Amino acid sequence: MFRAVAFTLALFTMTTLPGMAQGWHYVGGDGNAVELDAVPQRIIASQDAAAGLIPLGIRPVGIYADSAVADAKALQGLDLAGIEIIGQAWGEVDIEKAAALEPDLIVAEYWPLESTWSGGDDVVSALAPLAPVTGPEQGASILTLIEDYEALAQSLGADLAAPSIAAEKSAFQAALAEFKAATAAKPDLTALAVWAGADALYVAATAGSSELMDFANWGLDLIDPEVADDRGYWEILSWENADKYQPDLIMVDNRSDATMQTAMAQPTWTLMKAAQAGQVADWPAFWLRNYRVYASELAKLTAAIKAADADLAP
Amino acid sequence: MLIWRPDHRPTSEGGRARAAARLALGLLLLALALFALALISLATGARAIPLENVWAALVAFDPNATEHRIVWDLRLPRTIVGLMVGAALGLAGAVLQGATRNPLADPSILGIHAGASLAVVLGVALLGMTQLSSYVWLAFAGAGLSMLVVYSVASVGRDGATPVKLALAGAAITAVLYAIINAILLTSPRTLDEVRFWQVGSLSGRTVDIALQVAPFLLIGALLALATARLLDGLSMGDDVARAIGQRVGLSRGLAGLAAVVLAGASTAAAGPIAFVGLTVPHVARAIAGPSYRWILPYSMLLAPILLLGADVIGRVIATPGEVQVGIVTAFLGAPVFMALVRRRKLAAL
Amino acid sequence: MSMATYAGRIRTLRHAAASRRRSTSLALLTALGAAFALALYLGDYPIPPLAVVQSLFSPLTGLTDRSVDFIVLQVRLPRAVLALLSGASFGLAGIIFQTLLRNPLASPDIIGIAHGASAAAVFCIIILGWTALAVSVGAFLGAILTALAIYLLAWRDGVTAFRVVLIGIGMAAMLAAAISYLFTRARLNEVQQAMAWLVGSLNAARPEDCIVLGGAMLVLVPLLIGLVRGLDAMELGDDTARALGATVERSRLGLMLVAVGFAAFATAAVGPVGFVAFVSGPLARYLLKGTGRGFPQAALVGALVMLVSDLIAQHMLPAVQLPVGVVTGACGALFLLWLLMSSGRSGRIN
Repeated sequence: MFRAVAFTLALFTMTTLPGMAQGWHYVGGDGNAVELDAVPQRIIASQDAAAGLIPLGIRPVGIYADSAVADAKALQGLDLAGIEIIGQAWGEVDIEKAAALEPDLIVAEYWPLESTWSGGDDVVSALAPLAPVTGPEQGASILTLIEDYEALAQSLGADLAAPSIAAEKSAFQAALAEFKAATAAKPDLTALAVWAGADALYVAATAGSSELMDFANWGLDLIDPEVADDRGYWEILSWENADKYQPDLIMVDNRSDATMQTAMAQPTWTLMKAAQAGQVADWPAFWLRNYRVYASELAKLTAAIKAADADLAP
Repeated sequence: MLIWRPDHRPTSEGGRARAAARLALGLLLLALALFALALISLATGARAIPLENVWAALVAFDPNATEHRIVWDLRLPRTIVGLMVGAALGLAGAVLQGATRNPLADPSILGIHAGASLAVVLGVALLGMTQLSSYVWLAFAGAGLSMLVVYSVASVGRDGATPVKLALAGAAITAVLYAIINAILLTSPRTLDEVRFWQVGSLSGRTVDIALQVAPFLLIGALLALATARLLDGLSMGDDVARAIGQRVGLSRGLAGLAAVVLAGASTAAAGPIAFVGLTVPHVARAIAGPSYRWILPYSMLLAPILLLGADVIGRVIATPGEVQVGIVTAFLGAPVFMALVRRRKLAAL
Repeated sequence: MSMATYAGRIRTLRHAAASRRRSTSLALLTALGAAFALALYLGDYPIPPLAVVQSLFSPLTGLTDRSVDFIVLQVRLPRAVLALLSGASFGLAGIIFQTLLRNPLASPDIIGIAHGASAAAVFCIIILGWTALAVSVGAFLGAILTALAIYLLAWRDGVTAFRVVLIGIGMAAMLAAAISYLFTRARLNEVQQAMAWLVGSLNAARPEDCIVLGGAMLVLVPLLIGLVRGLDAMELGDDTARALGATVERSRLGLMLVAVGFAAFATAAVGPVGFVAFVSGPLARYLLKGTGRGFPQAALVGALVMLVSDLIAQHMLPAVQLPVGVVTGACGALFLLWLLMSSGRSGRIN
């Protein structure tokens, strides 16, 4: 009965809008197809989907985030004027605000490991009665994810050939070419991605994050930790063992500035030769969703690779 | 609501003297054990360092030797902080349980941990603070402020700060503070990411600076706490009896509370909110030393750092190349022992 | 004083007590009704009061408006009803434990049962990668198993309140440490998810949740009423109660099971919403001013705290919706503080 109400409601909100002649079809990251009679106009997006879509010219009417918007790294630098924020804490979404927005579509990212959508089950099951939920799947590459957003945006009516959008893409491609050239020029350079806390140094497994897999694909020799923890994301090193790996370049998670400061405050941080030599760069961990930020993060990394002494580590 | 009554065992003069000698000997043995444990703490860690190198690091420090740096920069400070924090937590717990006559009283229930945590959370979220050394003053101020509020709320009224009112006011203030903490953590993953490590309670990453910052407070707090032993013995007979023998109940509670907040605040500032030690060690001390706070306090002061430092040593070696935080090991090591004690002996009520 | 006037005075006192209980319940019910009506009316999707009423009766009258009916019947109604049911359950669980264990701090959110549910849920979220319903089932089992473990560990020729409390805090410390440990090992978004669960929310309230919790209460409340008759004997203290008969242990066990049932079902439905269980009992008793045990009033207080907290959580900040668990702490605690201070002025409490 609940489902039936939801379904009729979804139909109802759709038919009240000025419908377009052609229908809309999209296969989401969960493998399910969404069929609508018209191209959806009013979109509610998760924070990551918004970060993927807005730079491509698709502006959602509402965004739900799992943190205060000011704290949401993925949304930084985006123009959110006029977009209703309907959630700023994990698991909390203002369902009434969402209903008042009369959405045609909810766009989120599919998380294959948890088999749910970004924001978690509670949020998605609250929003699902309003409109179908779909979106790309998080996978082995941020670049692929951005390309998935391009396809989605195009189907939603975005003009990817518009000068500003095309320029961002070509700037990214240039940055990527530079990055590949830099890694090719230093085949012996090794890198290590870390998160630093006062208690321990967390060494990231490449397979645990999409952008690290991208970097590895593009020629960066990332050191993989020997023993990953139970979930396969990290090896956790006591600060007594901070020199277990000796990379030429250390990449520090830059979701928060605090991480770098914490790392540098540890007496044994400089047991790593790269830290001693200042060969430390940012790791844009988990938050890249569009060409613009990807290009700027890649450029910073390229500069760090070029400046690094590749023969630091034995 | 019923409050536990003390257990007064009648003893003869001679019996009392013999018991005192036995208890003093026990204290001496505990002190020796603690000293040995401190040495073990210097020699043990996630990285295996041969004993002669540990010794060399202590007597002939070479700043270029990796192993010397580890002993000197990591193990020595955390051993010192562990000793100080352990003693402070044990004393604070015993004093609070005595002052409130509630076996559940500990810094986490009387608002001290919550106050310290809120101050740290605000510092991270609003002021962008990230370093342990900058947390120290915040945590201390937060702990002091919240305990002050708890005590003033509980003191309103003719009967002053009764144990029940203290416990309820403490829990209420804790709840208010945690509401604010949770609201911040839920909307700011950046803060959550920092604070989730701090609030476990850990000795890792603590520097000599931190030890020096909190040392004066711990010293003053410890002296004050030990000085309240007689007052706590009076309070344990119940407010009416204490009043009848001429004790100023409100003043006694105030002094004990002051000692506890200085100790617990400083230890939380140094190592984060470690809940278990202050709660349970006094019960163990009471089981060994009997009902008098003149013995419970020094026993708690020695037993608690043994638990804390022992747990830290274990935490360093069970998860190599990583570590397990001391707050976690104390609970997993201490709780089963504590529960076994509760079952086997008839733990003295207070 | 003659026998007749003495009996007469007792009759008058009894009469006064009964009328005090009645007026307290009535006042609480009125407040609850008002809060419930407000919960159905307030929201970001503006609906006039008449339309709300119309929508409520639409299943009978057939006068439907699909978008209004969705908001009223599928969003606001289940949310308000779930707040009511879970609040009442937490209130009852709290006051049963506080009464049985004779300590105002001994509510299930302090002596380990909420910790059991929480640790199980966090394990399900972080290690097993479960979501939604599966987590609730895990939490339910966690609460039941923890309660069972505490009872068994405290059993030694019967259980005493003191042992249950001490074993309970040992258990709570261990489980809290397990949660902290999982927090430090997980990825940030898993920690966020777990943290949100720990705070407790009504955001995902569905009609099904109300049916499950309501059904459980339909079984538990009659059981409670049956068992409560045994309580009068127990309140006189363990020894007196034991002298009074052998059924005490059995009704104590029964009551604990019922309390655990309330806590476990409510926690599975909305998460371990803090402080409702703790605060309802003391508040109900303050309101009654010693004229009753306060079980029904505690249920009403719990429901009221939960409902009012959720209203505040949803509507206090225009742009941020907070989970109800953030507010219950603050809301309940401020109420308690106010009562502590006002009753403190007028004289002794309890």
